[in-house]
Amino acid sequence: MLVPIAYNLRSLFVRKTSLLLTVFGIGATVAIVSGILALQQGFKTMFIAGGRDDIAVFLRPGANSEGDSQFSRDRGLQLIKNVPEIAVGEHGPEASMEAYLAVLLERSGGGLTNIPLRGVQPATFEIRGDEVKIVEGRNFKPGTDEVIIGKRLVDRIQGCRIGDSVRLNTTPFVVVGVFDHVGSFGGEIWGDLDRFCATMGRYGPNRVIARLKPGTVIGAADPTKAMFSETPIPPVPGSMADRLRDDPVIPAKVMSESQYLSAQTVFLTFALISLGAMLGVVMGLAAIFTATNTMLSALAARSREIGILLAMGYRPIPIFLSFLFEAVVLGLIGGLVGCLLALPFNGIRAGTMNFQTFTEMAFAFRVTPFVLIVAVTFSLVLGLLGGAWPAWRAARMRPTQAMRRV
Amino acid sequence: MLPFKLVRKNLLRRPLRTTLTVLSLTVAIFLICFLRTLITTLTAGVEHADSRRLAAMSSTGLFVELPLSYQQKIDAVEGVERTTKFQWFGGYYRSMKGFFAQFAIDGEAMFAMYPECEVSPEQQASFLHTRNGCIVGDALAADSKFDFRLGQTIQINSPLHPTPGNQAWDFVVCGIYHSKSPNFDNRTLFFHWEYFEETLKGEGHPPGVGVYAIRVKPDADIPAVIANVKGLFENGPQRVDCNTEAEFQRQFVTMFGNLPLFVGWIGTGVLIAIFLACVNTMIMSMREQLSEIGILKSLGFTDRSMFGLLIAQSFTLCCVGGALGLFLAWSTQAGVENLLGTSFPGYRILPGTFALAAVIAMLLGLLTGLAPAWRVAKLRCVEALRSVD
Repeated sequence: MLVPIAYNLRSLFVRKTSLLLTVFGIGATVAIVSGILALQQGFKTMFIAGGRDDIAVFLRPGANSEGDSQFSRDRGLQLIKNVPEIAVGEHGPEASMEAYLAVLLERSGGGLTNIPLRGVQPATFEIRGDEVKIVEGRNFKPGTDEVIIGKRLVDRIQGCRIGDSVRLNTTPFVVVGVFDHVGSFGGEIWGDLDRFCATMGRYGPNRVIARLKPGTVIGAADPTKAMFSETPIPPVPGSMADRLRDDPVIPAKVMSESQYLSAQTVFLTFALISLGAMLGVVMGLAAIFTATNTMLSALAARSREIGILLAMGYRPIPIFLSFLFEAVVLGLIGGLVGCLLALPFNGIRAGTMNFQTFTEMAFAFRVTPFVLIVAVTFSLVLGLLGGAWPAWRAARMRPTQAMRRV
Repeated sequence: MLPFKLVRKNLLRRPLRTTLTVLSLTVAIFLICFLRTLITTLTAGVEHADSRRLAAMSSTGLFVELPLSYQQKIDAVEGVERTTKFQWFGGYYRSMKGFFAQFAIDGEAMFAMYPECEVSPEQQASFLHTRNGCIVGDALAADSKFDFRLGQTIQINSPLHPTPGNQAWDFVVCGIYHSKSPNFDNRTLFFHWEYFEETLKGEGHPPGVGVYAIRVKPDADIPAVIANVKGLFENGPQRVDCNTEAEFQRQFVTMFGNLPLFVGWIGTGVLIAIFLACVNTMIMSMREQLSEIGILKSLGFTDRSMFGLLIAQSFTLCCVGGALGLFLAWSTQAGVENLLGTSFPGYRILPGTFALAAVIAMLLGLLTGLAPAWRVAKLRCVEALRSVD
């Protein structure tokens, strides 16, 4: 026979101060863990959302990111000619050479940051289609000293409004438009490839991107795994990636854009997940101690009631379960409070340096359903662990002793 | 008069509860030390910067290299004593798990300009005479991931600067340096510029310079030197930004953006959680003592001494927890430093951080006892005596 749930629920609310303090203590712990997770989700969704499987990214062999990679202009052109899998559109192959650079600019709140600059060719817009939308002003004219600014930068970085100019070395580039992109491009500045290379003293682009003919299998090894493997992971034999790796003319490392993007945040993801896990464990311990304390004091105050329950014929196991249930409810309320505390973070815009690319990554906190599920599960575990020992003690009481105790 | 024995007895009345509360406090104070150290480690370079050193880099950004010819021009600026160049190598050992910092440098000039980098004279000489020699920091050499030894030839892959044949670079470990100052990382590898440049010439694109470090003469007018260096290259080809070492480091820290702020938020969250937990404990413990307090009051103990009794309990609790937390932070320092390894080098808890954490623990002790102490002081004897826990 189980102890009525109402008994525990009502008992929980007898000591309001104690309940409130415990709930907020657990809530703060849960909120911190979900906050860190929301941060990680923020840039994860941004990077994943931007990636496409029909776009191939070509890098110099051995490069892990476009910052590492560099081709000369001729070799880039040769590469495009050399790959029959590239789709052909109205204006020739749907391939574009891109330069990846950065410019030090000042944040609106002060402090410097390294904002990514992307020099593109007209084909980039053809490949991207509706993904990249001009939301204000107009696109830059190819071959001129004009740039367009990612929407996420406009309010956060100084001098990023239409009419302002961004100075690259000795040349001022005029901002003529603002564009939007759900992925990482939304935090970049775009301009003409050749103008960027010329002003920044670069001999060529960093990567080539191309839309592939439908049905093309790239066959690249997972770039994240490859980065952390001591021996090279070979691409699928006979695939496009396999052929280009050993190409006698232009050897290249090729992968799909989604593969590429997911490998660009592994360090930051790992750092945040580790920090979140460490804080979760350490603060979780403190929260468990608090929950145990609260339950123990509730137990002490109610030992007479437990004695009566036992005398009425309730078995130790239902009593154990009922107190455990009480602790889990305590944890759950704490978890819900934690979720409520974490929710206001949703959408807060932030920027930090991605150590892998050495450039600013603009993103927003995302309190996704995943974050909430983790938060609630975490709080249930806290309640369960915090309640185990007190519930065990309750179940082990002898009715006569329990009733005698005051 | 404060009945100290009563404080002790009350705290030990429920040993489990006291232990759990003390442990929560230990954890919280440890976390405060840890989080604060993450921030102070980032800013350590700013505080320990050499006031006679300046840094010159492209004013456009970190990705732009400066021409080699700039060195001579900077050397000629009035007030400049010596210059040296650095280039970020961006390589890894075995796989990206073995990612750490490497720089191509001018050996002699660097030793002259950075006295905080200590190498024995024999190792220094051996490094200067070995074309593909390198020196590594003692903390890097000791890291189990690397375990670099003197005389060992190590292979480093650099995605950023591949050799013409796309093979790994070979370096011979000629010396292990020790850094005397937190602004000079002890987990870095330095190798010769000549070896770097000559190897890359095969590719047809000789490397440029990432940063020129400049040491000014003791009596130099630093703002004037900075202005003159900037002025030299105002019309290109690459415009230069020149700053004191401290300012250069400070700008670097600002690139982490909101991250330090978030760490601050986390710390605040930890404080709130632990504050609530302690208040909870103190209220529980106060309730249990009510009838005794009634007796004490009726025996003639004043409201004030009862107030003190409760505060003394919370203060003792927090001080013990705080002391344990400080001890935990201190004793795990080396372990945490190794765990963070090359991804976050230089974890060292500053005395100021320990002091801050100690003050926080004591403040917690006073504040958490306040509400229950107030209640006890205001309590009338009869009410207290009547209360049954």
